[in-house]
Amino acid sequence: MTFTQSVLLAVVLAPGAVFALFSIFWLLGWNAPERTLTRVTASVFSISSIATAWLAWSMHAGGLDAIVVPLGDWFTVHDYHFPLVLLGDRLSLPFLAMTVILAGLIGQFSATYMHRDPGFARFYILLHLFAFGAMLIFSAGSFDLLIAGWELVGLTSVFLISFFTYRPGPVESALRVFVVYRACDCGLIAAAFVMHHLAYTSSFATGMPHLTGGDATVAGLLLLLSAAGKSAQVPFSGWLPRAMEGPTPSSAIFYGGISVHAGAYLLLRAQPILAESPIAAAAVVVIGLLTAVQGTIVGRSCADAKTSLAYAALAQVGVVFMEIGFGWTWIPVLHIVGHAMVRTLQFLRAPSMLHDYHQVHAAAGGHVRKTGEHLDSMLPLRSRLWLYRLAIDRGHLDTLMERGFVQPLVRVSLFLGALDRLGLSPAGNSNEPEPARATANDSATASKMGAIDV
Amino acid sequence: MSELIFPFVSAAIGIPALAAAAAAVGSDRRSRIAGLAGSSGAALCALETLREVHAAGGARLSEPWALGLFTADPLNATFLLLYSLLTMGILILAPRRDTSAKISAATLLVLAATLAAYGADNLLVLAAAWILSALPFILGPFTGTWRPRAGLGLSCVAILGALGVIAGAARDAGAVNPFSLAELQGHNFGGSAAFALLIIAIVCRKGIFPAHAWIEDAAEAGPVLPMCLFINGHLGAFLLARVVIPGFPLSAQGAFPILSDLALFTAIYAAVRAVAESRARRILALLVLSQSACILAGLESATQEGITGALVHCIVVAVATTGLFSVLRLMEVRFGRLFTSDHYLGLAEYTPRLAVFFVVCGLALVGLPGTLGFCSQDLLIHGTLLSHPQIGLLLPLATAMNAVSLFRLFSKLFLGTHRTGIHGISDAIPRERWVLSAIAIFIVAAGVMPSAVLALRRNAAQALNAPSPAHSASIARSR
Repeated sequence: MTFTQSVLLAVVLAPGAVFALFSIFWLLGWNAPERTLTRVTASVFSISSIATAWLAWSMHAGGLDAIVVPLGDWFTVHDYHFPLVLLGDRLSLPFLAMTVILAGLIGQFSATYMHRDPGFARFYILLHLFAFGAMLIFSAGSFDLLIAGWELVGLTSVFLISFFTYRPGPVESALRVFVVYRACDCGLIAAAFVMHHLAYTSSFATGMPHLTGGDATVAGLLLLLSAAGKSAQVPFSGWLPRAMEGPTPSSAIFYGGISVHAGAYLLLRAQPILAESPIAAAAVVVIGLLTAVQGTIVGRSCADAKTSLAYAALAQVGVVFMEIGFGWTWIPVLHIVGHAMVRTLQFLRAPSMLHDYHQVHAAAGGHVRKTGEHLDSMLPLRSRLWLYRLAIDRGHLDTLMERGFVQPLVRVSLFLGALDRLGLSPAGNSNEPEPARATANDSATASKMGAIDV
Repeated sequence: MSELIFPFVSAAIGIPALAAAAAAVGSDRRSRIAGLAGSSGAALCALETLREVHAAGGARLSEPWALGLFTADPLNATFLLLYSLLTMGILILAPRRDTSAKISAATLLVLAATLAAYGADNLLVLAAAWILSALPFILGPFTGTWRPRAGLGLSCVAILGALGVIAGAARDAGAVNPFSLAELQGHNFGGSAAFALLIIAIVCRKGIFPAHAWIEDAAEAGPVLPMCLFINGHLGAFLLARVVIPGFPLSAQGAFPILSDLALFTAIYAAVRAVAESRARRILALLVLSQSACILAGLESATQEGITGALVHCIVVAVATTGLFSVLRLMEVRFGRLFTSDHYLGLAEYTPRLAVFFVVCGLALVGLPGTLGFCSQDLLIHGTLLSHPQIGLLLPLATAMNAVSLFRLFSKLFLGTHRTGIHGISDAIPRERWVLSAIAIFIVAAGVMPSAVLALRRNAAQALNAPSPAHSASIARSR
C-alpha cells in the first residue's frame, strides 16, 4: 500500500476508531470528560482536514484521476465477493473534505453549545459515527460498501433526532424519519443486488457497472428512490422538518451540510447509469423540480427558523437534483459544496436568527422585504389562498402518505392480529402476565410500579 | 469415516442431562450452579468437537464406540457449541426467580435434548430428541396457552409419523439400518407421505404460516428465557438441512419453490403483524418469526450464498434474540410487570447500558451494518435473488418493517419521557453485563470480521448444496 493510499484509509477510519474507543470506554463505565471529547474531536478532524488537503494536492501534482485502495474482499462465498475498496477521486474528495471540515467545525461549536448537557458524550460519540458513515459513503468504491455507510448515517441521524429522550416529540419524529429511511434504503439494497445480478459486480472503483436500456432504468429508478429518501425529495420530504427536533449542531451538519446531500452524491456517482436511461434521468429532473417548488412554497409559510431553513435547503437540493438529471457534473458539485457551507452556517446561527434579522432590518432602515415578495401580488387572491393552504399542510404529502400507506398498513396489521387471536379465550390468557412468584423483592418493585404507569 | 478421539458429542449431551437430574433433586439455591456446570461442560465438549471437525478439514467424524448414535460434522458442530453457550449465558444472567430447581432442570433437559438432535446420526434418535426437547413446553413446567401445546404436539406427532413411514419403506427396500441418516440419503424412502409429514413437523416447529401463532403465545404467556432458548434451537431448519434436503432430493426440488414462498409470506406476515402490535414480548416473538422464516428461504434457495447466509443467520437470530429477550426479561423483573408499547416509558434514564445492549442486538437482528446480521442478510438476499428473484427483492422489505417495529419498541421502552420518583433500579449488574457484553462483542466483532464465522459455515453449506452420489443417482433414475 502506498503512502497516499494509507492516508486515505486513515482519514476514513479515524472517526470510526474514535467512536469505537469512546463507546467501549463508556460501556466499561468510564464517562469521558467534556474536555477530552472536544480535544480528541478537534485533533482528529483537524488532522483529517490537513490529510484530505494533502490528498487533493498529491492527486493534482501527480496527475492522478483517482486513488484506489483495494483492501481485498470483506467476505467471499462461492462466486460472491463483498469488495472492500476505497475510492478517492475528483468527485469524492470534495465531499470528503466537506465532511471533515464541517464535522470539525460542528465539534468545536458544540463544545460550547452542548456544554453540561447530560447527553454531551452521546452527542460526540454519535458525531464520530456519523462522520465515519459519511466518509464510507463518499469513499466507497462499491455499492455494497456504500450501503454500509448509508445505513450508519441514517441510524446516527435517527439517534440524534431523538437526542432529547425525555420528550415524546423528538422520539416520534425519529421514528417517522426511521420509517422513511428504511423504506427508501430498500431501493439502494435492491439496486446493488440488481447490479450483482445483471453486471456481476457492484464495484465502481474501476468504472461503473455497464447497464443499458431497461436494466439501467430499473437500477436508476431504484437508486433515485433511495436518493430521494435520504435527501428528503418529493414525496418523502415530510421527514425533514420533523428532523429539526434534534440539537441545532446536528441539524446543521445533517440537514444543512452532509446527510441531505448524500442522495445527490449517490446520483452523481451513478450518472453513467442515468446517462443510459432517459426515463431515470427525466424522473430525477421531475422530482428535483417538484421538490424545489414545494420547498419554496412551503418554506414561505413556516413559522420557525429551523423549519424554514430546512425547506430552503430542500429547494436547493431539488435544484441540485435537476442539475444532475440534466447530466451536469461540476455545477452540482460546486452547488452542493457552496450550499452545504452556507446552510450549515445558517443553521448554527438559527438560535440567533431574530437578533440577526433585527440588525439587518435596522441597518436597511426598515426596508427589508421577503425574497420574491413582489411575485405574490402577480397572483390572484384565490390562487394565493390555495397556495397558502397547500403550504400550511406542507404540500399535503404527509397526509397522503398517512392515508395511502401508513393507515392501510396499520389496519392490515390490526386485522391480522385479530385473526391470530381467534381461538383464544375472551379472557385472553395470551396477554395474561406470568403467574407472580412472590419474592422478597416483589413488594419493593411493586411499590415502585405505583409511580411508573406501564 | 474418521473418528473423534473421545465421544465428545455424547459427553456434551450427557453432562447437561446429568446436571438436569442433579438440579431436579437439589435445592433452588444450588440450581444455578448445576446449570452452569452442565452447560459449561457441554460447551467445552462442543468446542473440542468443533476443533476436531475443522482439524479434519470439515469431514464427518463418528464417535469411537459401537453404538454410533451420534456424529459430528461442520453442520452440527457449530450448533452444538452455540447452543451450549447460549444456555450458559441465559443461566448466568437469568434473574433469581427464573432459576428455581425445576426451571433449571427443565432448561438443562432442553439443552441435552437439543444437542442430541443436533448430534444424531440416526432418525430414531433425532425424533426422540425432538420430542424430548418439546416435552417441557407440552407437559410442564414451561406450559402456557393451548396453542403452543397444540403446535408442538402436532410437530411431534408428524415426526413420529414420518419416522414410521420412512422406517417401513426402508425395510421394504432392504435397508440394513432403516433409521440411519446416511442410508436415507437420496433414497426418498416413504416418498411424498414421509416428505409431507416432515414438512408439517418443520412448519409447526418453526412457526411457519399458518402454524405461527403458538410462538407468540408461548413467548408471552410462558417463561420467556426458556422459550427463547427453545426457539433458538432452530431444530426445524436443522431437520430440513439434515434430513429433508439430503433424504428427499426429488420431492424437495419440486416443493422448494412453494416452501420458499411460504417462508417469504411468513416473513412478511410477521413483519406486518408486528407493526401494530403493542405487547413487547409479542413484538419480539414476531420479529424472531419473521427473521427465522428468512432462514428457511435461504436454505431453500439451493445456492451456496443463500445456504451460507441462512446458516450464519441462524447464529445471528439465536444470539441477537437471546440478547433482546434477556434485556426485556431483566427489565420486566426490575419494573415488576410485562411491558406494552402503548406509552413512552423512558427507562433508558435508569438502565442506559441495558438500552445500549438492546439496540446492538436489535440492529444485528435486522441486519444493520457493523453487525454480523448485515453480512448474513447480504448473503441471504443475494442467494435468494439468484434462485427466486421475487423473494430476494421482498426480503429487504420484511427486514425494513422489522427494523421499524424494533425501533418503535425500543423508543417506547427506553425513550420519550422523564420519570420521577423511581429509586433503587439498577442498571445491568455485573453477571448480566458480562453475558450481554459478550453477546454485543460477538455480534460486532463478527460483523466487522465475518470471515471467521463464514469459514465455520462454509463446509456445511457446501455439503448441503453439493448433490450426494445417491442424490445424483436418484435424479438419474427419475429421468
